[in-house]
Amino acid sequence: MKERMRHLTLTGLLLAAILVSVGCDTGHRFVKKTEFKDGETIVITFAGPVDEAWAKEKANYAVYEEPDPDILLPIKEISLSPDRTKVTLSFDDGLNTRQAHVLKTKEMLSEGRSQGTAILTVKKLYFGLLLSIFIGAMVVNNFVFTKYLGLCVFFGTSQRKATAVGMGITFTIVIVFAAMMAWALYQFVLKPFQLTFLNIVVFIGLVSLSVQAVDTILRKVNPALFKAFGVYLVLVIANCIAIAVPLILADNEYTGPESFMLALGAGLGFLVALFLMSSARERLELANVPPSFRGLPIAFIVAGLFALAFLGFSGMSIH
Amino acid sequence: MDPALIKLALGGLAVLGCIGLFFGIGLGLAAHKFAIQINPKVEEVIEVLAGAQ
Repeated sequence: MKERMRHLTLTGLLLAAILVSVGCDTGHRFVKKTEFKDGETIVITFAGPVDEAWAKEKANYAVYEEPDPDILLPIKEISLSPDRTKVTLSFDDGLNTRQAHVLKTKEMLSEGRSQGTAILTVKKLYFGLLLSIFIGAMVVNNFVFTKYLGLCVFFGTSQRKATAVGMGITFTIVIVFAAMMAWALYQFVLKPFQLTFLNIVVFIGLVSLSVQAVDTILRKVNPALFKAFGVYLVLVIANCIAIAVPLILADNEYTGPESFMLALGAGLGFLVALFLMSSARERLELANVPPSFRGLPIAFIVAGLFALAFLGFSGMSIH
Repeated sequence: MDPALIKLALGGLAVLGCIGLFFGIGLGLAAHKFAIQINPKVEEVIEVLAGAQ
């Protein structure tokens, strides 16, 4: 128990250290921190008070997205905090916070003394980005309820809670496996050989390949688990989320960790959808449903209601 | 036909062929390595039994 606690504390400390080092590393001794706020503004925290005349001058700042140094983003307004250490830059158009931004300042003046020029990068915390991809795939853009993908397997296996959970877990494992292979193949084979137009063919092959591989290996390594998965393992091939995830990660040029989070989110989102649906359908069997609606029709109506509920998440994002 | 396109098509064929071969051999080896013995009598007995459900 004690050992476990120590492990946990150590892991926590390590994570905190990484977060702190990622969040504060600006590369200039006079600038303590640069960060995005509310998706529209950039906040610069200085180590000491800066001169108001200098801080309020728009020509002193140049901001652009890292890949496009030619396109300077127009600054709308500059505000200075009362203790003159925090400058908030707001922009005409919203910022694309997924992209790292470069902020160049002209010679900074503090109490009449020069602190030199600075070239700073502003970027979202990487953990935040990963988390937002994960939550986005799992809840906000749930593949079943907002994109209507994988419906045949969804209706086929959501009659019993036990089968629903079994299918969800199997699917999560296979999708993570397939998505990581799809990412590697796309980044290191298809793109260098300019064969990205073939990605649908390749990804379909990869999904069936990973299902076959998991099937073969699991049959030998863990027969009990294999028996528990039963027919669902093969059913994963028929699920179109398994092809949507590789296509999405290829379209958005996701990196390895981002692809992993997307696949994990998609799999767990499917699990959540299946679990919710099976819980509702188990109750439905006891309910007094008109004969013409019994079975699949009422299931479709319930799925529609779930989709409406999930619409409440739409547009949410994590800053 | 533009020779560059022909080159791309042939290159694509070659690359995809290699990927297919690679994974095919990989799956084959895996199937060999993780092969399990199934008693042929199990199948025979199931065959003889009544099949309904």
